[in-house]
Amino acid sequence: MYYLGIDIGSLSCDAVLIDRERNMVATSVVPTGARNREAIAMATEFVLSRAGISRDKVKAVVSTGYGRDRVEEKLTSVTEITCHAKGIQSLHSGAKVLIDIGGQDSKCILMSDKGTVVNFAMNDKCAAGTGRFLEAMARALQVDINDMGDLDAGADGALTISSMCTVFAESEVVSLIAEGAGVNEIVKGLNRSIASRTVSLIKRVVPDFSGMQFAMSGGVARNKGVVRAIEEALDYNVFVPEIPDTVGALGAALFAIERSLQ
Amino acid sequence: MLKDYFENLEKGIVSSIQEQGGKASPRKLYSLEIARVGKRLYSGTNKVAWCGVTAPFDLLYAMGLTSCFVEFVGAMLASTGMVGDIIEVADHVGYSSDVCSYHRAVTGAAIKGLMPRPELLVGTTNPCSGGLGVIENLARHFSKPLFILNIPQGDSDHDVAYLAGQMRDLTEFVSTHTGNKLDRERLKAVIENTNKARELLIEVFDLAKQSPSPANNKDLNNFLISLALILGREECVDLAKAYRDEFARRIANNQSGVEGEKIRLMWIQNRIQFRNPLEKVLENEYKALIVIDELNDIAWDPIDPDDPFEGLARRSMSISFNGTSFRRIESLKRLAKDYKIHGAINPCNWGCRQGTGTRGLIEAGLRDIGVPVLNLEVDCVDERKFTEGQFRTRIEAFMEMIQSNPSPWQ
Repeated sequence: MYYLGIDIGSLSCDAVLIDRERNMVATSVVPTGARNREAIAMATEFVLSRAGISRDKVKAVVSTGYGRDRVEEKLTSVTEITCHAKGIQSLHSGAKVLIDIGGQDSKCILMSDKGTVVNFAMNDKCAAGTGRFLEAMARALQVDINDMGDLDAGADGALTISSMCTVFAESEVVSLIAEGAGVNEIVKGLNRSIASRTVSLIKRVVPDFSGMQFAMSGGVARNKGVVRAIEEALDYNVFVPEIPDTVGALGAALFAIERSLQ
Repeated sequence: MLKDYFENLEKGIVSSIQEQGGKASPRKLYSLEIARVGKRLYSGTNKVAWCGVTAPFDLLYAMGLTSCFVEFVGAMLASTGMVGDIIEVADHVGYSSDVCSYHRAVTGAAIKGLMPRPELLVGTTNPCSGGLGVIENLARHFSKPLFILNIPQGDSDHDVAYLAGQMRDLTEFVSTHTGNKLDRERLKAVIENTNKARELLIEVFDLAKQSPSPANNKDLNNFLISLALILGREECVDLAKAYRDEFARRIANNQSGVEGEKIRLMWIQNRIQFRNPLEKVLENEYKALIVIDELNDIAWDPIDPDDPFEGLARRSMSISFNGTSFRRIESLKRLAKDYKIHGAINPCNWGCRQGTGTRGLIEAGLRDIGVPVLNLEVDCVDERKFTEGQFRTRIEAFMEMIQSNPSPWQ
């Protein structure tokens, strides 16, 4: 039998299928779009076809993310904070601090040795510094968001992006371009501003970094430039799994095993 | 608008009680009394005093005034779902959207003519400077006299004497501006009622502490802060008695407020005033109970009916927001231990220095005794800023975290 975890975020709907030995069998990441039920169906269909199994072989489904209640066939739903912690523990058991930056929020999660959530903090009031923020900046810079991760490399210093409001930052970026600033330097500045905001969030939860191992999940973790900037700001290495988008869905799939046994 | 609202609210509750053969839950009786507070304020015949939160409402009642803290209007407008348009009126005259929405709502209501014209105003320097600023503006708006009680931050005998002296001066001020003289015998009777209610309320809170608690998430919501408006009245004594008896009955019948209670929480400062699903989520999905609100705490002694001014002063100074953050944190720790809570929720009301300025210290202080804190960052009055999904995720993740970790009291 198999177990399915579905993470319905604001930007992407991610699915992970695991077997009863907890091996990852298939993953999928599809855009959530305006109709999340369609995205859920698509993400499910992708993992099942990639695994080559039929729906009736799935014993339990657990959902997570903002759209978690939209998954009709779920056994239960668990928040993305708990699921990301669960997922990252199975990929890197030494991780104690998880940074998760998704489409519309960023989180810092402190975990116990057993992988339970001990404390967490989320961005408050606005979604600056998240996936949506990066999308807006890529649009302003007229670059593909998938290329942004390497654009900081070779930058001759970093420009200061003073505002962390998405709208103001976008106009600031437009002004910098108009003044002839280099794209690489702007991107490096953006990465640093996200890192600075992220480290503030981490400090709320982890005042003392000594002995901590950091990991990062969520779609923004695919952006190597942001990860590099966070590592520089922390002065610690950050473990990033191969497919950081699916850590929450993996946690949900692991909960599907546990909860179906209860 | 609010006059009709309170009148209809009272009528609705009275008719519902009649339909039930005169039976009513204490919470319904509480709502009835709050509706009557509103009705008295908007009657057009009573002499009204708009006040700060720590004003001596029973003293003002004894002098024939209907008095109320201004934030009450903000909370009521939020509960009616009409607060957005009224807040916008305050924004139009230059208030920033980062200012506390309780106070923007009050300001907007005054501009729109939704605040009854007072005889006088009594500002208090505690719990917040924003509230005092609003009262100063209202005094100018209505061209009415303002008396400011400067609440000392310490609690020495000298501080008590200083505030008691101001309260004596307040009685002179009221007499001068209303013609109502202080009747010592009436004041004595009022203070005796205050003391009776105090004794009963201490019993109510002691019963609520039991595990499982007889209280549900609604019973003691916004309770003591609003009850202060009827302190000194017979109705307050009767209401406290109704709560005491009902909680005792539930305990005797093994009836808990939240069936299968699993998680006990403390709510710091005020609740969210507009309709929202968070308390239902807590109760239905996690069997979680907000067993204690920070403001449901009686930290003052009985007041001497023959010479009440020192006692009234001590009561005004006893609110946990007064003085240093350290004092407030010690008060929160005491409540956490007394009620054996598993976690605390701090709404960190937008624009509130008391709500946000100390949040890190409060979180660290409660964590010292093993109690985790969720900082919500919510505007407790302006529902236009409420994004259900975001808040629900934070609340649910907090519940999951509490469930997966050992209780601080094991």
